[in-house]
Amino acid sequence: MDSSNDEAVDIIITNVVATFRTRCHLNLRTIALEGINVIYKPEVGKVLMKLRKPRITASIWSSGKIICTGATSEDEAKLGARRLARCLQKLGFKVRFSAFKVVNVLAVCSMPFSIHLVDFTKNNRPIASYEPELHPAATYRIKNIKATVQVFSTGSLTITGPNVQNVATAVEQVYPLLFECRKPLCK
Amino acid sequence: MSRASMRCPGCGSSNIVDDDLYCQAQLVCADCGSVVSEGSLAEESFNGPDISYSRTTAVTRKPCVNLIQGLERVKEISRILRVRREIEELALTYYKQAYEHETFLHVTLQRKEILGGCCVLASCRQQRWPITVGTISCLLNGDPAAVGEVYQEMIKVLNIQAPTFSVTDVMEAHCQEYKVSPGHVPEELAEDSKGLTKRAIALVELAADSWIVTGRQPLPIMMAAVYLAWQSLKPNAQRLKMSLEKFCKLAKVQKSKTAGTRITEMKGMLYKLGKEIPWYKEVLTPDNVVSLVGDVLQHRFSLLRRALKSHELSLLEKCPAGQVNPSSAETSSSSDVSEDAGQTPVKSSVNAEKEKQGRDGDESLKSPSEESNPQTQELTQNWGKRVLFAPPCVVNAKRKRAERPPLHVTGDEEISDSEIESYIRTPQEARDFAMMQEKLFTSNNESS
Repeated sequence: MDSSNDEAVDIIITNVVATFRTRCHLNLRTIALEGINVIYKPEVGKVLMKLRKPRITASIWSSGKIICTGATSEDEAKLGARRLARCLQKLGFKVRFSAFKVVNVLAVCSMPFSIHLVDFTKNNRPIASYEPELHPAATYRIKNIKATVQVFSTGSLTITGPNVQNVATAVEQVYPLLFECRKPLCK
Repeated sequence: MSRASMRCPGCGSSNIVDDDLYCQAQLVCADCGSVVSEGSLAEESFNGPDISYSRTTAVTRKPCVNLIQGLERVKEISRILRVRREIEELALTYYKQAYEHETFLHVTLQRKEILGGCCVLASCRQQRWPITVGTISCLLNGDPAAVGEVYQEMIKVLNIQAPTFSVTDVMEAHCQEYKVSPGHVPEELAEDSKGLTKRAIALVELAADSWIVTGRQPLPIMMAAVYLAWQSLKPNAQRLKMSLEKFCKLAKVQKSKTAGTRITEMKGMLYKLGKEIPWYKEVLTPDNVVSLVGDVLQHRFSLLRRALKSHELSLLEKCPAGQVNPSSAETSSSSDVSEDAGQTPVKSSVNAEKEKQGRDGDESLKSPSEESNPQTQELTQNWGKRVLFAPPCVVNAKRKRAERPPLHVTGDEEISDSEIESYIRTPQEARDFAMMQEKLFTSNNESS
């Protein structure tokens, strides 16, 4: 069993979620009035601000906590967050960019073979769980790197983890297990 | 202290008498009436450990009422499902264990009821009694997603392993529900339950190879299989004309909407295989394939092989330049016996070389792995087009949105003012915006 890939498997990062704080109170009405690309949601108590480059959506709370979603890499997320902080500075708030942290990374990947999910679950109990009536994919949770891999029988994988490195490690860890349970002569 | 020696502090007299005030002992001077000394009204303070109020007022501890009710419910569910005694007892044990765990101790009663159903499900699975999550959620009148959630938590808490069932395991129990045996319906429409089950299972196994079963809900597949099996066992005009809805009414089961889609998919698959039957001379369409189901099932391995070969040939005709012979290296490995199909490809002696190329237990071909040819590269991305059977998500692959060119940034670059200005309204714009909002607000108020 050759665990180092003959054909490199492409891991495509689809979403990076990051949070940071501005260390000052923010007036949401001012932001809604003076900002472009801004949606005010008074019922929830937050403002959604969308940046164009990098394509990021930020949820801004009046406490100064901000969540950025939509980036496709950690660096993009950081740049977007800094841009957002600058924007808020320009609007007149005493913003200090602090506590930036990437919280979640979502990636997809496609194996060059189909997978027999029942075998995969049997071989990897209890780390893997598969309930075909509830969800068509088998879930494989790797505790030590806190990553979750969802394996579909077509060979597609969805990986979520706290950072990009963990996501890559998760794919490396799970590849040999999937290779064992591949469906013969598919793809 | 002797009363004789005491002297009243007020008048100095030694005429001290016992004059209890109700229950309080008092020594009083008889001459001036002053109280010389008195006993304490109550006992001295208790010097032992503190005893809480609930302990002092506690009665003998009764077992929790909800636990008893929950256990009764578990028994009820087991009896409705008519499971074996061991399963019922195992379920009760699990329920008791899980109930007392902190994850489930303080949850809502509804969740506790769902927990009861999940315990029954887990014990049925461990004892290999086929039952689906759908059945349990029906019995509990709950949402299958909620049942699934509680089930996963319970498995973690109790640290047990419960193997899942495949569709074929549950098939027999499902077929029993259909009231089409000779006693219930007229002779032409009646079908023996055993024969029906057998054919339905064969259909499901065949469907499993064609990506119809993977990832789908079991009930519509089973319903479609039973319907097609029933039609094909005696393919007379009356049966063939009967729609799924009428069949469900006849059999007294509730029709499932997606079963119709599954029927179409199964007919498509049967059509692809039925085309290869050499003795069928008439024009075959997915509609009239039902009459051939018996033959297809009987000769399914060889028909599958023939279908794969002809598919391969048709692909070669379409793009002769790009195709390379599929590597036979993979074919030599014996195919995994899939649980559902349990098939072993029969080695046909005729034309052994060709057999080697097309021989496999399952539905698809290994792709030519040459990346240099752009045509094959395109095909690799959509392998659904290359193989005979593929899941619908691959055959109708969604076109990828135009990918954003990845920004190569470090995260610490300089941010110019002009970029930021583009996100802020000028003061004039802000004033206009505020005015417009006010106008909208007032006009809304007037209109409402």
